Amino acid sequence: MAIAWKPVEPSYKTYLQLIVLIDMLILAAIGIGIYVFVPTTSWLPNPLWFGIPWAALTLFFGLFWSARRFQFTAYARTAEAMYLRRGALWRLTRAVPLNRIQHVEVRQGFIERTLGLAHLTLYTAGSGGADLSIPGLKLNDAEQMKASLVNTIADEPTEDDDHA
Amino acid sequence: MPELTWQRTPLLTIGFFIAKEVRHLIRNITNLLPVLAVIFVSNSAWLPYAVGGGYLAFIIISAILNHHFFLYALADDAVHLRTGVFGKKSLTLKYERIQQAEIDQSWYFRPFGLVILRVDSAGSAGKEVEIPGLSIDAAQQLRQRMLSHAHSNHHEPEAGEIELKSEASPETEVVFSLKEIIRAGIMDNKIFVLLAVLIYPLSQTDVLEETVVPWLEANIAFLEESLWLNVALIVAALIVLFVLAIGVTLVRYYNLHFSILNKRYQAKAGLFTIRTVSFRYQKLQRVQLRQNLRGRLLKRFSLRVSQLQPSAHAQQQTGNASFILPVLTQSLVSNLCQWLQLPRHTNLNWQRIHFIALLSPSFWIALVAPSALAAAYFNDVPLTWSLLGAVSLWLMLQSYAIARWRNYGFTFDNGWLAIKRGVFGRKENWYPLYKVQQIDVYQSPWLRLLGYADILVHTAAGAEVIKYQPAQLAKQLQQDWTGQIGRNHQRWL
Repeated sequence: MAIAWKPVEPSYKTYLQLIVLIDMLILAAIGIGIYVFVPTTSWLPNPLWFGIPWAALTLFFGLFWSARRFQFTAYARTAEAMYLRRGALWRLTRAVPLNRIQHVEVRQGFIERTLGLAHLTLYTAGSGGADLSIPGLKLNDAEQMKASLVNTIADEPTEDDDHA
Repeated sequence: MPELTWQRTPLLTIGFFIAKEVRHLIRNITNLLPVLAVIFVSNSAWLPYAVGGGYLAFIIISAILNHHFFLYALADDAVHLRTGVFGKKSLTLKYERIQQAEIDQSWYFRPFGLVILRVDSAGSAGKEVEIPGLSIDAAQQLRQRMLSHAHSNHHEPEAGEIELKSEASPETEVVFSLKEIIRAGIMDNKIFVLLAVLIYPLSQTDVLEETVVPWLEANIAFLEESLWLNVALIVAALIVLFVLAIGVTLVRYYNLHFSILNKRYQAKAGLFTIRTVSFRYQKLQRVQLRQNLRGRLLKRFSLRVSQLQPSAHAQQQTGNASFILPVLTQSLVSNLCQWLQLPRHTNLNWQRIHFIALLSPSFWIALVAPSALAAAYFNDVPLTWSLLGAVSLWLMLQSYAIARWRNYGFTFDNGWLAIKRGVFGRKENWYPLYKVQQIDVYQSPWLRLLGYADILVHTAAGAEVIKYQPAQLAKQLQQDWTGQIGRNHQRWL
């Protein structure tokens, strides 16, 4: 039985590109700051030695990496579990059985809000951080998924272990 | 709601609060580093005494205040607590929500017949409540009440009484003799801990240089004449420490009782402080069977059962919270496996991982040998010797890697996932598969190239990696297991 993967919203790619751009701009600002404010820059190499790799990295992440990541990111919900796959080069497919979910969260960062995106996070017991976080969903879809998941969890039949 | 009767703990429990403060200090010792640094730098004669005295006064005053403001009330269905000197804290703990309730007979309370009741509740915050200074009977009754509530889940007043009656006669009981505990001490020797504890104060003062060394030189000068005598002396000292370290284990596990009652597994032990640790079968998340080299020589195992740990606490408290039986014979292990329903039998289908998993460690080890050779050669070691050294180093590391790979195995039997590993010591981890929280399939570019994937199994008691499975199989296993877990409606927590 193959899993019916659902892709995330295309604007997730824009979101990734924006994130890359912001991170690279911060790096660039630090670099420029060093060249401008450090009094003697003679020991530093020509700025191009940093500038060209910077540009290459920006292009790599902005075009190739974000496209690959967007392409691979997908989620699926079966009767028993929620699946998520993500990553571009290092790839992870994660499965969380629905009856192990502790709580569900919908979150929206600043950039996500401007793009009308949200991400849905499922938490399980035992591990510290977020466990399964589906990015690049429309806010409405995320809210809907959350509601349906919460319903499923609440209707979960439990049977006592004692006779086993 | 009936009026609560707030009680204060007996005056004696100030000792408990002092101990708590001291423990708090030791845990947060890094915060005091600046102060300590100032003391060392300032070189003043009175400052250390002032700081020490001030701190002592602080401990005692805060212990008295904490004792004064520690109020508890026992209702029919909950414990209420009111604590805090300045910041008031009010806590209600429903009996139903209680995960664990243990009775600690601390050494400083035992002569007075008092105990500490330690209660753990469910939930990610991992609230732990300690009520010191209860009488043994009261604590036992309270504990029964809490556990029977938690056990029967919903209001069944009779259940508590039944359990109270059966308290006297556990279904299964194992008592560990002194001999066995000494074996445990040999297996799990705390010699290095003891060494550190002894050496640290010695290194801080000048006792060693000023008193011990001159005395040794004056009185046993003949020592210097023989290297062997020196070696013998050091060995003897280590043996003495080793024996003392067995004493540490003895203090902790003296008179170890293991019992099973109503699916509740309990271990009770201690020479001065008698500690009880227990768990309910339902809450079991992992069983760990270990055997280190000494354990293999003595033909003994140790067993540790983990329950769900709120992750923030997991690192700090593993020692306290998990259930440990430090020394088990082979037959006891098989009994325990039966009691814990572990399908551990001799013809388990242990599966190895593909030998391609050796590729990447072998690559790094192969890099080590030439660099060791180069380092030796440039430090003027004769070429033959450096060659020999490098080759033997490489052989040792490589054979260790191979042995590690050969001894690794995983199996899936009767709803349990087991993973064994270890070259010198052996370790087996058993997880009830239906309690697994999430399953990952991970592929690095390298693994993708080879067509393999790692499976990560996250359980409530930690994660486990099964490396180098064929990618298709890994995905299949992930789906199968996830489906099985999803369709299993047994309670897992």
